[in-house]
Amino acid sequence: MIHEPTRLMIMTQLYVVESADFIFLQHQLQMTPGNLSSHLSKLEEAGYVEIVKEFIERKPHTALKLTKKGHEAYKEYQQNLKQVFSDSPT
Amino acid sequence: MYNSDVEMNESSLREVERRTYMAYHQDGLLDIFVGVYVLLFGLGILLMTTIEFSTWFVIPAIFPAVMMPIWISVKKRITMPRIGYVKFGYRGANKMVAIFLGLTVAGLGAFMLFGLGAFMGQGWALTLRNLIIPNGMIIVGILAAAISSLFAYTMGLKRLYAYGILVLTSFLTGHFTTIPFEYVLLAIGLVIIINGFVLLTRFIRKYPLAPGDETNAEESL
Repeated sequence: MIHEPTRLMIMTQLYVVESADFIFLQHQLQMTPGNLSSHLSKLEEAGYVEIVKEFIERKPHTALKLTKKGHEAYKEYQQNLKQVFSDSPT
Repeated sequence: MYNSDVEMNESSLREVERRTYMAYHQDGLLDIFVGVYVLLFGLGILLMTTIEFSTWFVIPAIFPAVMMPIWISVKKRITMPRIGYVKFGYRGANKMVAIFLGLTVAGLGAFMLFGLGAFMGQGWALTLRNLIIPNGMIIVGILAAAISSLFAYTMGLKRLYAYGILVLTSFLTGHFTTIPFEYVLLAIGLVIIINGFVLLTRFIRKYPLAPGDETNAEESL
């Protein structure tokens, strides 16, 4: 799930912040709304990303954040990748 | 686009974090507020020397408290509708708060230790006092530059290094030359404010407001 480059970018961006909204991710990752939306849906289905609907100054706002499962999956992926590189012949 | 192949190690995560900070502060608002702060200091010293308005220090002292609600409000009106909203977690905002609190506690601790030493007539405190008072301008300048550099390093905003150097230069100018220090401070404050407005103009041009974008984007989720 995370190995796909675009989803890895989304997970990385969300890993370094507490939460971000759709527009911020779109600008940071330079993705089209459709593409980002489709990957976010997959990450949400996997339980890695939580979509929080909230109100900021009485205006509806959608915040995106990594779930605990998402954090763990990201860390695990990070360790696995390190392992692969450390095991590979130089 | 990120290079996903190199994103997994800690230094790459820091780079992503740095880019996030840079994106959030590319609007120049931080520069405008820093510039106004420096300007207020210059203005305060000018008032103190010209009309003996000795309570000038209240202005820069209360400025951060007054600034925060204005800062948040302006961010909500200008920055967030254009580049979106981000909340920095323990890796971001809390780290800044920790640095700020650490500096405050260390500063207060050193001040109290020094004050107590001086009060009790300790030799080391008197020697230190004799060293600090004649070189006060240099020490304050170095401290200001160090704090600015610390924030520059943490947030990845290189222009804060330049501001730190400018402020240090103003204090050194005040110490070593006869040029009135307050005017140098006013000039530096103005330079930083102008830079902030240049960044703000660029930001507004780069990210024009497109009403409905956020709603459409969210609906597509």
